[in-house]
Amino acid sequence: MNPVLPEEAVEFGTAARTAFGHLGGVDAARGAEESPSLRSTKVADALRALGVEDLDPRADADTLAAAAALCEAAGRVALPYPIPAALLRSTDGLPFAVVPDARRRVDHGDLFPQWRVATLDGRCATASSTDHRLATRLGPFVSDLIATDADHDCDPATSDVDLHLTLTAWQILGTADRAVELAVEHVSDRIQFGKPLSAFQAVQFQLADAAVAVAGLRELALFTIWRLSTLPVAPRADALALRVHALDVARAVLRTAQQLHGASGVCDEYDISVLTRHVQPALRLPASAERTAHELALAIQRDGFDGLFPHGVLPHGQPA
Amino acid sequence: MDFDLGAQAATLRTRLRELIAAHIAEDYLGAFTNDPADLDVAQRFCKTLADEGLLTLAWPTEYGGGGGSVWDQTVVREEMWAHHEPRGAQYMGLNWVGPAIMAFGTDAQKRQHLSAIASGDVIWCQGFSEPDAGSDLANLSTKATPDGDGWRLSGQKIWTSYAGMAQWCVLAARVGSGARHEGITMFLVPMETPGITVRPIRSMLGPHHLNEVFFEDVWAGPDAVLGGTGEGWAVIRTALAHERVGIARYARCERLLSALGRELAPVWDRLPPALHSQWARALVQVRVARLLAYRTVRAQEVGDTPDVMASAARIAVTQCDQQVAEVLFQALDDASVEAGVTAPLHGAVEDHWRYAQAATVASGTIEVQRMIVSKALLGSASGGRS
Repeated sequence: MNPVLPEEAVEFGTAARTAFGHLGGVDAARGAEESPSLRSTKVADALRALGVEDLDPRADADTLAAAAALCEAAGRVALPYPIPAALLRSTDGLPFAVVPDARRRVDHGDLFPQWRVATLDGRCATASSTDHRLATRLGPFVSDLIATDADHDCDPATSDVDLHLTLTAWQILGTADRAVELAVEHVSDRIQFGKPLSAFQAVQFQLADAAVAVAGLRELALFTIWRLSTLPVAPRADALALRVHALDVARAVLRTAQQLHGASGVCDEYDISVLTRHVQPALRLPASAERTAHELALAIQRDGFDGLFPHGVLPHGQPA
Repeated sequence: MDFDLGAQAATLRTRLRELIAAHIAEDYLGAFTNDPADLDVAQRFCKTLADEGLLTLAWPTEYGGGGGSVWDQTVVREEMWAHHEPRGAQYMGLNWVGPAIMAFGTDAQKRQHLSAIASGDVIWCQGFSEPDAGSDLANLSTKATPDGDGWRLSGQKIWTSYAGMAQWCVLAARVGSGARHEGITMFLVPMETPGITVRPIRSMLGPHHLNEVFFEDVWAGPDAVLGGTGEGWAVIRTALAHERVGIARYARCERLLSALGRELAPVWDRLPPALHSQWARALVQVRVARLLAYRTVRAQEVGDTPDVMASAARIAVTQCDQQVAEVLFQALDDASVEAGVTAPLHGAVEDHWRYAQAATVASGTIEVQRMIVSKALLGSASGGRS
């Protein structure tokens, strides 16, 4: 029992945080909204310099851990780049994303001409991008791809769907973790009624709950990459469980962090506002929390759920 | 990175489950029910565990224990709680009274008490909380007044579990008129001593869980002091350290969520889809709570002080207990208020829900845990906007 990221992964995550800091931190996200091309220039250059092109999370446990640390670092600054998709590129260089059933909607779809996509129910396809982006406040880089071949069953031997869900959860973890830090900083600095907001127990307790939620998400995120890297074929429920929990935690933690910022929480001058806006595609694609929880319940009944007691299946699809 | 507890822990878990299956009925709901026979079951099971060398698995070998690892202890906690703590009230003596006597006791105290605890012969209660000293334990006012070569003890304790059945009490009392930690002294007191009155408190938890204990000029000899006069706070800290990880509530939660599927199998598909989702989310909460508890155990294993992480784990575990209780009730609907062997899951869900209501209060309220976590968070604050 040694539930910690390998030292190399921690160091890689630290290097990524430094590199993203040199890009301006959350300012890179602000800048990309003004000049979307910044993503394929400065941001892509920084990722190349980090050696992200040589990182394949399918390779082994250590590389998956490094990829997770990278995604967390990206989430902390809302890095304007589809890191999980890029990490899961195919041998011919196509990025990979899990998409909603209804349409092939991805974040930063315009950055690559061709994509591999899959739905949660295991249908794979290739798709091409257009220059069109939604360019909304909550989906500044979201775009819809166009199918270039018919859907087909994904290769069950590959775990790209699980890895994409998991690495996206690590990105969300980074955002939630940073949101707590920003809230702590704000309530420590902001004086009202003659004392810092942090002196009020109502504020302290909200922060404690948020920090505990993030700590729990971190443990689950670690556990999930361990499962993915040690089992020959990890049950889909593992990745879905992490995604559901990441979405539930992020929703609560971001709400708390925004609330504790007062009116500043919705102002883009403050990082919390930009983080909250830019994480929305990760929270909504390929499915929001309730739809994902529904899929999780089905997956547990079908495949079981690792724990102290069995949660497997009976012949008629009823839980054991 | 590795989350496997190892082959030794797995073997121990299998052995414990075999023993439980052989000695504890499937519908056993713990020692503290309205049926006195359930107490006898617990006492007999403790003897069985003692015979198997498992009762004091966690104790150092020099005191006749098994020298078990922190992970062995974790497995014991999980399996016992998952199966409604068939050790009954004994866990208190095993978990911290024995270890506190090892750390602070005289040779005579060790000789008198350790083998009795190890053989499963004796039940202890913990005289800590008072009407005006709950979360703020240092505010206790039970007095210990010198009398000859011994002491006279006077005061009132409250919320004292198992006081009505215990043979011994570890009592926190104050010597002198000091404030806060000053003068606090621990006494080992036989519960049969004249002047001790136990009054049960009726509660939704069931019998034996909560009592008031009144001490009126209770005599304690000079050999009753544990750890020296005025040194009681150190003993209390040791006791609380053993409670850091707390009860493995998540283990029973998971067992019940697993059993719920079998119980409802005929109608499972007809449940509202939202309930399926709640059931799945509850399983995730259980996994998260277990992982946070493991983080605390890991900190203990490597010699870190796990205070903040332990508080985080307790917040998650106790909230999980209550959330799971509610999900189980939602699923059982109108049958959830039934109790006894004819109720769904032979009353285990109803029992769990009642007991879970005190989870965020027992052994340190969730508010105290939040204070510890937020203090650590705010101590590290710096910086501002970009």
